[in-house]
Amino acid sequence: MLPLIGLLLGIAVGLLLEPTLPLVLQPYLPIAIVAAMDALFGAFRAYLEGIFSDRVFVTSFISNVLIAALIVWIGDQIGVGSQLSTAVVVVLGIRIFTNAAAIRRALFHA
Amino acid sequence: MDLLRQITDQPIDPDYATVAARRSADRTQPRRRPTRRWAIALTAVLAGAMFSVAAVQTTQRAPLLATERDELIARIVHAEARQDEQRTQIAQLDRETNRLRRTAVQGDAEGEARLAEINRIAPIVGAAAVKGPGVLVTVDDAPGSDTDTGDRVLDVDLQILVNGLWRAGAEAISVNGHRLSGLTAIRGAGEAITVDYRSLTRPYRVAAIGDPRTLPASFAETSAGAWWIDLSRNRGMSFTVSGAQKLTLDPDPGLVLRYARPGR
Repeated sequence: MLPLIGLLLGIAVGLLLEPTLPLVLQPYLPIAIVAAMDALFGAFRAYLEGIFSDRVFVTSFISNVLIAALIVWIGDQIGVGSQLSTAVVVVLGIRIFTNAAAIRRALFHA
Repeated sequence: MDLLRQITDQPIDPDYATVAARRSADRTQPRRRPTRRWAIALTAVLAGAMFSVAAVQTTQRAPLLATERDELIARIVHAEARQDEQRTQIAQLDRETNRLRRTAVQGDAEGEARLAEINRIAPIVGAAAVKGPGVLVTVDDAPGSDTDTGDRVLDVDLQILVNGLWRAGAEAISVNGHRLSGLTAIRGAGEAITVDYRSLTRPYRVAAIGDPRTLPASFAETSAGAWWIDLSRNRGMSFTVSGAQKLTLDPDPGLVLRYARPGR
């Protein structure tokens, strides 16, 4: 329950305060969000399977977000930024889909 | 492929399983320390804030991009107006040059002979305005071309049309008012077709001076005529040929030689 409230609170804070992100970080926010979604779905699946661990969740969330942004940043430096972000989106997208399907099976037994 | 299989086989962090295995091995009850719970909540807040910040920024950027686009369009329109203005100025100066040339060579036999030659060649190469009877060919994209790119008039189609008209005996041709000379290029640039580096707006009106009785028939016999009949029948592009008793074609203002010199 607490994570859900936190999520909604975060959305509300972002919408109300409208903080402006530094221009340097702007290209990396979307990819960081995809990584965050991957961590969230993974955590929810682990929760449903009864192996959720708060420490793993927090560390995997933060490291996922940072690594995804870092990969794209390095890609930008060497000129393959858009290709690398596509790669990150593909890999994480597959994981998100797999986890979402597992969550659906666990919740609805279908 | 092995990489993709690994992604689907191991979609959640393996640490979850490791920690769970260690926990069951220890047989200790998972104690929920309050700091850990707050860490989860804080991470969730962070995730939510990331979503909304990104959404807000994307919606804020959309009008900005639209204004940038509008500004660019305005600049293009301005530059085109300026180009038109300068072309008119060129035409004016050309007339002035011609007048001065006439007065300068008066009484000079060789000069007058040269001037006669210039006056003979200028209409042929497109450096002077010409008028006369001919045909007006109007072509346009097929209806509904905004959604399907297959049925639009391409630069190649226009090139074929113009070449067919030359072959059918046309003596001077202009496309949407742009006179064709030996230096005129018809080419596609992005969405538009350009003649002499000026983009055209639909429909495309090709005016050709020549014998109005034989020109349409001769054109229909060329491969270009067959090409266009095919385009109009099978692709639905509009293609109309009409005779015109009096056509006036302006000179090509871009007719300048920068490197070539007259030689024997």
